This record gives sequence, C-alpha cells and structure tokens, in this order.
Amino acid sequence: MSARRPYIRPMPRTWWLRNPVFRRYMLREATALFVGGYGLVLLWGLSALRQGEGAWLAYLAGLSHPLALAFHTLALAMALYHTVTWFALTPKLMPSRIGNRPIPARWVKAAHYGLFALCSLVILLLAAGVH
Amino acid sequence: MNGTIVIEVQRYRPEQDPHPWWQAFELDYRPEMSVLDALHQIRDRHDSGLAYRWSCRMAICGSCGLMVDGVPRLGCKTFLRDYYPDRIRLGPLAHFPIERDLIVDLRDFLDKLAAVKPYLIRAAQDERPSEPRRQTPAQLARFLPFAQCISCGLCYAACPEYGLNNRFFGPAALALLHRYNRDSRDQGRAERLPTMNAEDGVWGCTFVGYCSQVCPKGVDPAAAINQGKIVSVIDYVRHLVGLSPATLGQDATQEGER
Amino acid sequence: MAGQEGGALDSASGTDRPPSGSLSFVDSIKTDIAIVGAGGAGLRAALAAAEARPDLGIALISKVVPMRSHTVAAEGGAAGVVQAHDRLEDHFNDTVSGGDWLCEQDVVEFFVRRAAAELTQLEHWGCPWSRQADGRVAVRAFGGMGTERTWYAADKTGFHLLTTLFQTALRHPGIRRFDEHFCLDLLVADGRVQGVVALDLAAGAIRLIQAKAVILATGGAGRVYRFNTNGGIVTGDGLALAYRHRVPLRDMEFVQYHPTGLPGTGVLVTEGCRGEGGILLNRDGYRYLQDYGLGPETPIGQPRNRTMELGPRDRLSQAFWFEQQKGRTLRHPVWGDVVQLDLRHLGEARIDERLPFVRELARAYANVDPVHEPIPVRPAVHYTMGGIETDCRAATRLPGLFAVGECASTGLHGANRLGSNSLTELLVFGRVAGEEAAQIAATTSLDASPALRREADAIAARARSLINPDGQESVPALRDALGEAMEAGLGIFRTEEGMQQTADQIASLKRRYRAARVTDRSNVFNTEWLQALELGFLLDVAEAMVHSALARRESRGAHHRLDAYRSRDDERFLKHTLSRFRDDGPPEIGHAPVTITTSPPAQRSYGGDGRGSGER
Repeated sequence: MSARRPYIRPMPRTWWLRNPVFRRYMLREATALFVGGYGLVLLWGLSALRQGEGAWLAYLAGLSHPLALAFHTLALAMALYHTVTWFALTPKLMPSRIGNRPIPARWVKAAHYGLFALCSLVILLLAAGVH
Repeated sequence: MNGTIVIEVQRYRPEQDPHPWWQAFELDYRPEMSVLDALHQIRDRHDSGLAYRWSCRMAICGSCGLMVDGVPRLGCKTFLRDYYPDRIRLGPLAHFPIERDLIVDLRDFLDKLAAVKPYLIRAAQDERPSEPRRQTPAQLARFLPFAQCISCGLCYAACPEYGLNNRFFGPAALALLHRYNRDSRDQGRAERLPTMNAEDGVWGCTFVGYCSQVCPKGVDPAAAINQGKIVSVIDYVRHLVGLSPATLGQDATQEGER
Repeated sequence: MAGQEGGALDSASGTDRPPSGSLSFVDSIKTDIAIVGAGGAGLRAALAAAEARPDLGIALISKVVPMRSHTVAAEGGAAGVVQAHDRLEDHFNDTVSGGDWLCEQDVVEFFVRRAAAELTQLEHWGCPWSRQADGRVAVRAFGGMGTERTWYAADKTGFHLLTTLFQTALRHPGIRRFDEHFCLDLLVADGRVQGVVALDLAAGAIRLIQAKAVILATGGAGRVYRFNTNGGIVTGDGLALAYRHRVPLRDMEFVQYHPTGLPGTGVLVTEGCRGEGGILLNRDGYRYLQDYGLGPETPIGQPRNRTMELGPRDRLSQAFWFEQQKGRTLRHPVWGDVVQLDLRHLGEARIDERLPFVRELARAYANVDPVHEPIPVRPAVHYTMGGIETDCRAATRLPGLFAVGECASTGLHGANRLGSNSLTELLVFGRVAGEEAAQIAATTSLDASPALRREADAIAARARSLINPDGQESVPALRDALGEAMEAGLGIFRTEEGMQQTADQIASLKRRYRAARVTDRSNVFNTEWLQALELGFLLDVAEAMVHSALARRESRGAHHRLDAYRSRDDERFLKHTLSRFRDDGPPEIGHAPVTITTSPPAQRSYGGDGRGSGER
C-alpha cells in the first residue's frame, strides 16, 4: 500500500521556446533544411547540365531570380551558423591531451577555423583559375 | 543591504492537490544566503509542510537539485544575491515525476546509473590482489573528470531528449559508462557496447549540450556521449569487416594502458 | 510574512480533501542481515557479507539515497601504512598518543594491520586514488601522523570512496536497497535483536524488516551542535536507537572540533590543505601555533609531521580558542572571529591538482579564491569520537547487533581522533561487521513473527503519536536551542558550571519536546514529522554527551576543562565512560577499563618535543 501519487508533467510542443539554449539548439537543427535545400539546387544544376545548353541557361537564369538570391543568402547564413555552432562543440568530441594536460578548447576550435579558411582559400583559387 | 526577497515555490501535495500550484513567500534577505537557506527559512518560519531534499549543503551529496527560474541548479550552490531584488521561482527538477513539492522521483535515473555496469570488469583474476595496481597520473586524468558525478540529476532535467523519451539512458549514466571505459584498469568495454549502441544509448543524444552547461561538477556528459558515438561507429565498422567486439574490447584496454 | 499569491499554474491550493494520516503497515519482509545506514561503513559491511555468503539476503536501509550519505563529504584521505620506511608500530603510536591514551590498544593494533589491505581492496574496486608519477599510490601528510601515510583521491576522498563502494555493491544481487527508509526502532525480543521497523518516506508505509543480525552504520551526531561541518542528516539516529535499548554509549564526551571550517556555514576545509603545506595565521599574520607547544615554526612550504599545522585537531582547535581570548583573531562583520588558512604559496597548479574542491568551496561559500587570498576559517564541530560500545569484532552487548563507523565506539580513536583514521575505520570494521553478521545469519533462524508484529505495531503507533497539531513547541526552535546549549556548555573548553547548565537545558528541552508541534498528517515525504523524530534522537544523544562530560573530572584529548580539572588524571580517569539510558531522567554513568598492550600512558608531545613519531 502506498500513498504516492506522482505527478507527471506533460512536455508541451513548445518546450524549446522557453529556454534560449533550446532555441539556439532548434535553430542549429533547422539549418539542415537550408543546407539540404541548397543541395537540391545543386542537383538541379547538374541535371540541367546533362540535358543540354538550353536547360543550363534556364537554370542560370533561375539562379539570378531575386527569390533564388534571397534563398542563397539565407542558406549561406544558416550554413555559417551551423559551422560556428558545430566548431564550438568540436572540443567535446576530441578529448585531446598532451601528457597530463588537456589541450585548451580554443586551440581545437582555432584549428578548425584554420582548416576552414584554408579550404575556402583553395576553392576560391580553383574558381579563379577556371575563370 | 538587508531587505526582503520574494520566493515563489511550486507546491504539490499528492494527498490534497490535484496538480501543482505556486505559492509566494516574502523572506528576510541576506547576501550570503543560498536558495537552500531560503527553503530552510520558509520551512522554519512560514510553512513547516514544505518538502525538499537536502543534506551536505556543500555541493557534494547531490540532494538539493531543483529548477531556479527554469534552470536546473543545486540549491546549496545558488545564491540569492545573484537574483536580488528580483523574485525567484523554485520548482522541482524538470522531466521527473513530482512526489511532493520539490521532491521528485529519481528511481528511473538511479536505475539507469546502475544499468551501465559502473564497476571495474576484469577478464581474469588479478595476479597480485594484495598490491595496488599501477596507474599513472596521465591514465588517471583520462577518466577522472567523468568520475566526478554526484548523481544530482540536473543533467536529466536539462535534457529535452530525456524529457521527450525517458527510455533514453541520458547524460549521467552514459558519462558514467564512459568513465569506466576510459579507466586503464577496466576491460569491460565490450560488455558495455550493447548499451551504448542501442537506440536509447548514445544515439538517443542529439548534442543539445545543455547537460554539460548545468553540471555543477564539470563532468561534461555531452562530451562523454559524443565520444561514445565515435566508439560506437568504430564498433559498427569493425563488425562490417568481421572483427568481433571482444577484439575491440582488448584493443581498447591496450589503448588505455598506453 | 507568508502570503498566498496567484501563480501561473494554479492559484488555488487544490481540493479540500485532507490527508488521512493513517496508513498502517503494508508488508513485513524477512531477510538475513539488515544494515541501517548506507554510507561507507554500511556499504562495506554489505559487500563483506555478500562476498562471504552470496546466498544471503541483505537489506540495506538508508534514510537517503546511499550516495547522499555523509561519507561523501570527507575530503582529506584514509590512513594506511604503505611507504617502505613506514611501520605499523608508528601508525599505532601516532593513533594512541593522538587519542591521549584512551584508545583500546588491541583494537588499534588490529586496525593498523588491516588498514593498507582495505585501501588496496578499494583500489581493486576502482577507487581513483591519486598517484605518483610512476603510477604508485600517492600518500600525503596529515595532522598527528608521524609520516606520510594518508591515501587520497585529490580532496574528495570520501566521495570517491563512497562512489566506489556503492557502484561495486550494484554487482551483488543479494543486496536489496531500501532507499529513503527511516529506521524508527530496533526490534528486540528474547534478548537479541530481531530486525528493524522502518518508515518508507515516499510511500508513507511502515515496514517490518525481520533479520537475524542488524548492523548500525548511521554515522555521527554532529547536528546536536549548531555550527558543524556535518550534513543535515547526521542526527545520531543509530546512537539513539541502540541507546534506548540499553546498549551503552561509550566516551560520548569526546566531540571533535575540526580546526578549519568555513565561517558562517561550517563547511569543511580539509586538513589536507595543511598536509600539502598550508599555514594558519592570526590577525597579525603570525603563525600562532608555535605559542601552543606545536613549534618551532617550520619554514613555509616545508611542513614537518606532528609539528605546527600538522599537530592534532584537539590542540589546534584549543589554540584558536586561546587566540580568540587574547583578541588576536580577525573579526569578520558577518562571520565573527576567524583565523586565516593561507595556501597561496602552493601555487595554482598544485591547488588545482591536490585541492580543487577546497578551491571550489572557498569561492562559493567564502567568496575567496585561495590561489590569491587566504581562506577565513574557525573550528567547527566535526566528529563524535564516542559511540555505541563495540568490541574488536564490531559486536555490541546486544546479541545480533553490530555497530560500525562513526556511530560506533570500537575504542580506536580514544579521546581525539586523528584525521584520516576514520575513513579507514569504515572499511576495516565495516568488513568485520559484515563477515560477523554473515556468520550469525548462517547459524540463526528467524522466529515466527506474531509477537514481533505486535511490537512493530506499537513502534509505529508511538512514532505516529508524535504528530500533534495542537503542540505548543516549535521543532525548529527546540533544535536551535539544543545547538546553542551544546555550544555554550560543551564546546572546545568546558567548566562544571557550564556543563551543568547545558544538562539542565537539555532536560528542559526534553520535557518541551513532548509537546512538540507537528501539523502535517500526510504520508508522502512528511519531512516535518521526520525532523521531529530526528530531534528526539538528537536530544537523547546530547544528554549522553553532557552527562558523560560532567562525569569526566579531568582534561584529556577533546575534553578540556577550565575549572579544577585542567590536566589529565590517569589515576582516576584512564577509563572509558559508559552512558546508559534511563526512561525517567539523566543517564546512568559508569566506567570501563582501557586496554593497554604496548604503550603505557605518557606525555603527549608535538613539534620540537615530539621528535617525529617514535614516541613511546
């Protein structure tokens, strides 16, 4: 016999609205939609390239539409947000130590940003070379 | 310097109340007072029926976890001066069933801690049980941060994944699992792999990361779990190429002894 | 003033259905061994019993979740001879002289022999002992110890020890936990203990747990004082339970003040700070301990064993009292008189490696970072040397009943415990108690239970009768008055007059307690009722302490008098005090001889006079 009557609190659908940490987390998760959307745009471009010059030109024209520009800007912002928040988490994934001493988290993050900058530079140079 | 402060406390008396409600108390304020001191003042002067857990009042026994303005914290290590003169709202730890007032049912959490085999597993009897084994400071440092958990439950109150699905093993239990996996004296990694690999093991985590922010002991369960994901992936790949988990267990131990 | 205000959830306080407050018993449980208290001692006993006889049923009963037990707050370490140059005789002599020759020397011999093996066992169970560079276990210096023999896990030794024991206990299916079960009474019939009656705090149900042997491991009673290092749960439960069944409490007058508690809260700052080289300073920045027979002053950063800051706790706390009398302590506006514990010369790296918890505590509770500033400290009640009288096998005079840990008096600590002996004590005697109880369980059978059932009903009714909404006396007020009375009369220094006053006050508090007000009639986590039950235990233990102290007309160890009895009197008082409970008045005080084996009483000397540990 027991007098217990535990009260179980329901988890509202809006649980993520009540705490800024959760709001930032949900935004980070939402960036996937935009990155995915950008991937679809690229696939469309590939398919247009395969279909011939007409399709390709139509694709390019579509890209310069104000809505497409807006989408790309937004997708870039989202990708950057994802990058920044993800880099912030990387020290947790890489428990790096030199001997007894942990490598400071900011070194791990700095290494990621360094690599990011290097990759971006290489891609920009390649793009410049093509032109 | 000394005035009054209003503390709102969520009440729930299972034999009387159909559901929780809020009650406000106006207390004498001193800057050195902790939230726990405030609860003592309410109980001693205003309402002797207020129920809450506490003991050591030095942030090591893990009894007095509660929600302070919606944030999981230890009552004994949260000070009124950081809120004064604003009012403070105190509630029971989120995501757990409420037993009464600020007391929640932690049994599910404690059972999960017990289920990860949180003890040293050895393949064979120790050769020299009468002597301490050696463990270098570097080997100790590999697991020591994960051995600081005081089982206060704050990380479960911070974890929305646990709130949405309480079959998820959750932060503290998976961090504890990681603590033993990383101990150079342990050989039980293979035995703990099924727990990690399960849907409600490390893969139930979506890396919200709030558990590590609220941990009063700096345990960093988010790190433990996401390092666990890497171990789990390696195990999956090894499985694909036909290496048994037992081999992995031995490898892991050797890695630990290095 | 309390006022009800509208809240976001619901402003009304629910229905008007009042709680019935009348649950009676639900189940009676039969087991082999019942262990009351699941701190270090209770867990070690459970492990020993389960390892000796895996088929035994072991009920591990705790009023909290085991990890909340106060063992968790021990910081400094656990003593055991491990260094090549150290010797068991030295640990023995340090302990006996530290206890001012009131130790049971056969018990001390047994203890020092078993100490290192127990600490090693803990290593094999996974305890993260701090290590030397080559991987061997590290040891640190501690007060009153002649050489470094205190094993430590940074400054959270109790936490790691308790965690290791608790997690190891999870391997044994025979150990059944009764978490958040408050032990109301022992069941005694036919001249032996037959089990316990416990209140399930969550369910509000009362359980009869019938057992062949009972081990009390409930910890000390520091909460009889107001200013103490102890957790709120340290209310002398086991002491009072045994005492009320006429098991004598031994040497209850010896209450240890730890020299370094944080002012205001009493939060413990480990002796390990001084073991690592921390120094104590008065208001003039002077290392005052050299004025109290603990010098000569040692160079900063070069601590010397049994000297200055590494003297025993009784001496250090007494030195603080003298400094206070001379007006040489610092006066803090909120906290009162303090001295300073200076760690700055250790440097940040060493503090973070060896004393990280002290840094965390000093920052949180004294608003001081020990890397940059000294920590304000003052003596705080820490440990009850006395307890339930047991023999070397942890057995009490009541057949089937064992006691272990701080609630027991094995005779190990004498008149003053040395720091780091008590964590080892939990292990050494916890194991003995578990093995002995397993032995008894193998040769005893459980009686048929109708009579026990009636007895348990009576116990439940007595406990329930404490719920009295019409009572005139406030439980918190009585509790605070008790703490103040104990501090006034039974502090670091005592006088006949002061002690008598305290005894009278306690007698009056016990009368008033009968009219204690408990308004809550509900069953689920009725913490108001729980507090009242605990206060009853505290009052009985306090009474035993003060009457034991009055009867000891000498000064020894932690019992120091300022009246006509300022020195040790081996002629008349080289003996234990036994306090026996009486229903209708103060306890009956008797005495028992002290076992001396190899160390006849001698002058206690520290510092330059002590010449290391080789004093005999």
